[in-house]
Amino acid sequence: MSKLNATDIQGFVLRGYNMPYARYCFLHFTSAPNARALMRELLGVITTGQLWDQGKPQSTVNIAFTHKGLVSLQLPLATLITFPVEFQLGMKARGGILGDTGINGPEHWDNLWQDDSEDAEVHAWLAIHALSQEVLEDRFVYLQALISQTESAQILDTQDAAALVEGGKVTLKEHFGYTDGFGNPDYLGVCRSTQPGQGKLMPDGTWQPLATGELLLGYADEAGELPVAPVPHILAANGTFMVYRKLHQNVATFRRFLDSWSSRYGAGDAQAREKLASKFIGRWRDGTPVEVSPDAPDPTLTQDPNRSTNFTYSNDAAGTRCPVGAHIRRVHPRDAFGFEGRLINRRRITRRGLPYGPYLPEDAQFDELTDKTDRGVAFMVLNASISRQFEFVQQQWINYGNDAHQGNEKDLLLGNHGPGEKYVIQGDRNAANPPLICANLPNFVELRGGDYFFIPSITALGLIAMNLVDPR
Amino acid sequence: MGNQNGKVYGLTLLCPILEDDRATPSHDLQIRYYLAQLSTGPESPFTRSSSTHLARLVVMDDVVYVGAPACEEHLNSKYLIFETNCDSDLDGYMTELAQTIPDTLDQIWQHCTGYPGTRDLSAFLRYMRSCQIETTFFFAATNDKNRNETLAALQTQRSVAEFITAHQGMDPAQLQREFVAFAGRLKSAPLPKPAVFPQSAERSIQTGGHNE
Repeated sequence: MSKLNATDIQGFVLRGYNMPYARYCFLHFTSAPNARALMRELLGVITTGQLWDQGKPQSTVNIAFTHKGLVSLQLPLATLITFPVEFQLGMKARGGILGDTGINGPEHWDNLWQDDSEDAEVHAWLAIHALSQEVLEDRFVYLQALISQTESAQILDTQDAAALVEGGKVTLKEHFGYTDGFGNPDYLGVCRSTQPGQGKLMPDGTWQPLATGELLLGYADEAGELPVAPVPHILAANGTFMVYRKLHQNVATFRRFLDSWSSRYGAGDAQAREKLASKFIGRWRDGTPVEVSPDAPDPTLTQDPNRSTNFTYSNDAAGTRCPVGAHIRRVHPRDAFGFEGRLINRRRITRRGLPYGPYLPEDAQFDELTDKTDRGVAFMVLNASISRQFEFVQQQWINYGNDAHQGNEKDLLLGNHGPGEKYVIQGDRNAANPPLICANLPNFVELRGGDYFFIPSITALGLIAMNLVDPR
Repeated sequence: MGNQNGKVYGLTLLCPILEDDRATPSHDLQIRYYLAQLSTGPESPFTRSSSTHLARLVVMDDVVYVGAPACEEHLNSKYLIFETNCDSDLDGYMTELAQTIPDTLDQIWQHCTGYPGTRDLSAFLRYMRSCQIETTFFFAATNDKNRNETLAALQTQRSVAEFITAHQGMDPAQLQREFVAFAGRLKSAPLPKPAVFPQSAERSIQTGGHNE
């Protein structure tokens, strides 16, 4: 395999920045030539995947385009029609497949995503990540100036996101209290070293990186094929596709649900409550994998990259440690489907994201209005094929349970639940590990909008900026 | 794997479709048209046989040439494919179908070469036997129980899950009383109709598509 050119790949694709502040700006281009002028200005600004051996920068900038954005940039028709169909259609049109219906339907989305009028089309995602709020604001002012100098675009809306702060400390938690961000897949050539549990499971039980083409366009994927990509090749190579979803979290609903069911679980005390919370996800709230440490969280485990994602489910077919339908077991089944894990290697996704909205401390009071507070996670998925990877996971593993031997049951946390849906927690004879069926699942998470984006390489951004995209 | 898996029989028939230049439309199109109008739900004629687990009818025109470097090949005829998982075996199942839905069978198979019709049962069975090929794979969700046992098991699974949900944590003595009563009700409950999904099992999501 050829060595990846990290200076040609946007940094956001190759690594999670682990910066506590972010602002996602959603642009509408008002003039193609001026938008190209903006791209020329941005060429030297966009953060690449080059390693930060010289020290972490104060902030980063990245860009991605919707298909409508590429149309408005006047890419040649012969190029535009070669993008994968689901990207051309956009996320709203794929709602039937994704289960973005009912309370998750477009009529409940933020105005930014709901508005179908032509002058409100989202064309680009311009992302700033920063180490401090001040740096973030400075960077935003700088980008605003570039946009207005070039008279290229209108900022339709921005989405701020920030790591949750608990007791004055920046955390990796999301609003339900779970430490997030464990376990993204490793890809060949992308990481300097691989972490056990992150790539693909080999017959000898070791883990190897996934093929580069599962993340980046222009490289062979796990089937030895090139992912479906636009022409010309140079526009596609080193790029990827991003799914952006604003996921609202109903924190009061979650806490009420946890209180109500944990009072009937085991001893019904605070310990039982934490254990039940761990059974929903497959990780304790500090991130300890339940499969490895079923009885209690273990901070030494979460700190050890050789152990924090290094586990399989074949010795827990009954789900008495990690429930068969637990979130992480559904979306990354490892060896749970047999065949040494080979059935899942083309269904892996890379996740990015940060929470938005105020954190509600665990001991805080809440009421009927708490769920209305604008809080959740700005969730992003990176993958070479949105239909084969993200959409499959969402359709088959989140909103359906057949592969996980759960019939029609959905993922407890992310599923778009209908009336009377349930979640089964397998148990054993240990009084502290009883079975439980949680019934009448509410929707803990609601979709507030989003779309499908193309993250071009630096070369491709240059081609777009200089109007040199040539499909011939 | 042969045709038998536990109590379930995998029947696969490959029946050549008539080629007749004078037929308008052609016989394969006439089968397609008829099949397209058959119900695939509880009203399907195949549910009237008490031993159908699933039945699938496919018109196969030809093998598709996918371009070089593949070599171009063609079938000698168009075929009607009938695949079913059923109780009993070819003779038993096809006899039952010939007795319960003779008109449906004749409407479909009248377009096949050499089909004698359902009225002469022994000729009908001889014909079907000559079209049988070995079933090597079963539908993945097939178990080894007969159809009525499967329908009852699905009902039991749903009912027990509902019972547990409603009664978990109950005082043991009361739980036992409730369970005995529940088990009695379940035992005498009528067998659910095939291909009828309870509301809780409905799948609202759009299915199909090349990612599935």
